[in-house]
Amino acid sequence: MKELTVTFSRAQIEAYARASGDLNPIHLDDAFARRVGLPGVIAHGMLQMGLAARVVGGGARLRRLSVRFAAMVQPGDTITFSAASEGERIPIGAHNQSGQPVLTKAEAEIAPEPGRA
Amino acid sequence: MEAVDAFSRALGLSPDGSVPPTYAAVYALGTTAPQLFSDPLAEVDLGRLLHASQEFEWSRHPTIGERVEARARVASDITRRGARFISLETEVRGAERNDPVCVSRALFVIRGSDA
Repeated sequence: MKELTVTFSRAQIEAYARASGDLNPIHLDDAFARRVGLPGVIAHGMLQMGLAARVVGGGARLRRLSVRFAAMVQPGDTITFSAASEGERIPIGAHNQSGQPVLTKAEAEIAPEPGRA
Repeated sequence: MEAVDAFSRALGLSPDGSVPPTYAAVYALGTTAPQLFSDPLAEVDLGRLLHASQEFEWSRHPTIGERVEARARVASDITRRGARFISLETEVRGAERNDPVCVSRALFVIRGSDA
């Protein structure tokens, strides 16, 4: 089992916003986020998915990645991503510091290594 | 190149000359979803928009410097219990050979004003 533990920060969310072009203020502006009924700024789902892809690995052999965004992630939350280190269909886990899943129905498919098909 | 490297660093990766898989957030989603969300006819309130689920299927991964073309369609748009669910399917092909690169299936939810 491979694991990756990340404590989300405003700086990382802002860097992801700039790098991805998703500058929705719900990720950047606390006052705006609260005004629309959120607890404060939240991380991009795609940032979580990017970290999930990191723990899966597989490089160019990654064929499919799917996730359901099940809970909001805020700055200061610590998320542990996990994935089986072998196999072609790989379930992915992602839980916050309270043990609550933030990604569900998360799965990757990896093409077999050349010569092992 | 710089854009892909910045994306890699934002995920805590050291840029290695490859395109991280979820850079599809840029070349599949980032090219199409904003067009839908900024269309006044779609009536999407950005503050109430959340990403509910996401799937990418890759035929291959693009390379840095490659040009790709993305084409999206709203696969469904339904309102259930006060929330609106929009499913956006995007097909990405290589501009050079018109070969399939990636299919993205995104589900967005627009929360009701009391949700």
